[in-house]
Amino acid sequence: MTSNIKTISLNGIEGNLVEVQIDISSGLPSFEIVGLPDTSVKESKERIKVAIKNSGIQFPSRKIIVNLAPADTKKEGTSYDLPIAVAILLSLNEILEKNLENTIFIGELSLNGKINHINGVLPMCIEAHNLGIKRVILPKSNEREAAVIKELEVIGVNSLTEVVQYLNKTKIINGIKVDILKEFNKQEKEQLDFSEVKGQENVKRALEISAAGGHNCLLIGPPGAGKTMLAKRIPTILPDLTFEEALEVTKIHSILGILDNDVGIITKRPFRNPHHTTSLTSMIGGGKIPKPGEISLAHNGVLFLDELPEFNRNTLEILREPLEDKNIVISRLYSKVIYPSNFILIASMNPCPCGYYGSSEKQCKCSENAIKRYLNKISGPLLDRIDLHIDVKPVKYEKLEGKEKIETSNQIKERVNAARRIQYIRYKKLKIFSNSQLTPKMVEQYCYLNKECKKILELAFNKIGLSARAYTRILKVARTIADLNGEENIQKQHLAEAIQYRTLDRKYGDKF
Amino acid sequence: MIKLKIDDNEYPENLRKIKRPPKQLYLKGNIELLKKLGIAIIGSRKCTKYGEKMAIKFAKELSQYNLTIISGMAEGIDSFAHIGSIEAYGSTIAVLPSGFNNIYPEKNIELYKKIIQNGGLVISEYDEDNKAKSEQFLERNRIISGLAIGTLIIEGGYRSGTSVTAKLTKEENKYIFCIPSSLENSKGIVPNQLIKEGAFLVTEVEDIISKYPNLNLVKKKIKNSNVHIDIVNNEYKNIYDILDKEKALNINEIAKITRLDISEISYKLMMLELEDKIVSLPGNNFKIK
Repeated sequence: MTSNIKTISLNGIEGNLVEVQIDISSGLPSFEIVGLPDTSVKESKERIKVAIKNSGIQFPSRKIIVNLAPADTKKEGTSYDLPIAVAILLSLNEILEKNLENTIFIGELSLNGKINHINGVLPMCIEAHNLGIKRVILPKSNEREAAVIKELEVIGVNSLTEVVQYLNKTKIINGIKVDILKEFNKQEKEQLDFSEVKGQENVKRALEISAAGGHNCLLIGPPGAGKTMLAKRIPTILPDLTFEEALEVTKIHSILGILDNDVGIITKRPFRNPHHTTSLTSMIGGGKIPKPGEISLAHNGVLFLDELPEFNRNTLEILREPLEDKNIVISRLYSKVIYPSNFILIASMNPCPCGYYGSSEKQCKCSENAIKRYLNKISGPLLDRIDLHIDVKPVKYEKLEGKEKIETSNQIKERVNAARRIQYIRYKKLKIFSNSQLTPKMVEQYCYLNKECKKILELAFNKIGLSARAYTRILKVARTIADLNGEENIQKQHLAEAIQYRTLDRKYGDKF
Repeated sequence: MIKLKIDDNEYPENLRKIKRPPKQLYLKGNIELLKKLGIAIIGSRKCTKYGEKMAIKFAKELSQYNLTIISGMAEGIDSFAHIGSIEAYGSTIAVLPSGFNNIYPEKNIELYKKIIQNGGLVISEYDEDNKAKSEQFLERNRIISGLAIGTLIIEGGYRSGTSVTAKLTKEENKYIFCIPSSLENSKGIVPNQLIKEGAFLVTEVEDIISKYPNLNLVKKKIKNSNVHIDIVNNEYKNIYDILDKEKALNINEIAKITRLDISEISYKLMMLELEDKIVSLPGNNFKIK
């Protein structure tokens, strides 16, 4: 007697349909799983046997063969437990419902028959919806995450017994609905605020531009200048996530199982600040079974690298492609996965090993060579990919005492949101979200310069000695500044301000 | 403003002698300067850094011999000649190609005010409301060469207004002095050509003074000047004025003093830097060059 059940497997952040086929026939009692299962899938045999037994159903002592189709791709993880168990019970006529064409099952079994939480439910459900599936049956703790896909009927279950009862209609479980709008509008009070930072107006302005256009930003300054303090407040001025962006972010967090089960969807832009001892793999993702790394977790958010030159040089160099392509391809012999990595890179560093190069407070003790070696840890190509360079100076005591009114994060965020809206509308057809994503061809189209601006740029190039890549960077930043001002075209003041943010090309330029 | 007719007593004698003396002159500032000896310093509007340096140097040194520096208040060499003279506490005369209500070029209005403030004189042969026209640029050159005892040419491109003034000076039998330029300098064509044709080559200010033995020109000692004049576009002036030559100012301090938006300040600082007026130092600090 054979039966088929559908489930979804994960490859990278995309789901794939897998059919669980089962055949129970007479013969020597055995239980085989075929279709390239890895150890974690093979072990499910024991879990399933015990779980069925502990649910009060006798496990058949006959010849059972399970095939996971398509049989030529590797299967891994524990999410096949539930579909295999259901398929067996279906063959045993324990489950009477035969119409399971449009239902998928996902879940891990524990020995007592309970159903455990699994990772990566959201991307699976997105794929299920794309395939025209109407209903998913999955662990209770995953239900809110799946319910983000409004069109799906999401049935959260606690145990195998409950699944049987539900399918035999002896127990009614209603599909859960999540009000996504409500989650998005939930105004959580931020712990941090830019109004707590006194002075540093120029840095705040740079970060505002960075948030508005999605530009990478490097903060340079002596110890104690407030670089980290400023960077930690960036999430408070980041533009609101759009639904599409939120889905992408949630997908990645779902795969790693670090999602808040009560909410189901991530409504805030992620802020990741890995320590500088972070290994290459954990930064970009990978491993035997590829997992997303820090750069993908920071997708649509901010990756903050404190003390940039302290990072392993290889770890930094590997960021070059993701910064340009906005995704990372992890290739293995048997599989290739693509993780998105469209993040804003915010980095901070000292100008020299002692930290006081160019400072007016303290004399720098470093030799010319030591400074050179220190700055050399950051390669020119990486630096070229950072749009805004900004010097951070310590604030003097008088200013800390001052009672001047300081802008709050919300005021800044309003401007950022307005600028993002302009970009969103302008780039609607291009499937990009911000100015930083413009390709050279698009730059030509959207960053038109009038004669006066062209003259200024030419002058700047001759005087400052910028690289060719800096050219597009400046144009993109100028575009963002124009958007912040609500101007349709780039004016000379926008351009000149944008050039101002290429500090490293100018002051320390000879050292790199 | 004073108006002088050609038959007025104060009308400068040497101007009456030129081919087509202006029928009337409008003057603003110190008209006593008309009685003093003056030398013209002229050159290209788009001068090189070298030209700028030379114009200031020679204007200063000629001022020390009590000579008035006469020029056209145009961009480039003309401006620097006036500036050099003022910086050395000398006297200077600017001859406009337009009426007083339409100072040309507009960006030199600051300089115009500085000239009058520092005891200089500004002259125009045109009515107040007259606007600068291209033929008037050449016309005004005859006044410059007419008022001067000789003309020093710093830089000039091929077929430029500079060569016209040189021609006029030659016709009036006055001396032409030239600063030599590199052969690769396109703005050095006129002075080099004039030297070839017999103009005096000048490497130091005494080369000029020694050509006027009858005038008894004596070098007076002036204390080292600390007057510093810079022509800065009015738009960026509010930022430029609070910067210092010695002490660098941080961008946030500038914001505090001026109470301007940080974006506006960054833009203006960048423009000033591009115009070579200020230098930026590590840590977002700025000072005057």
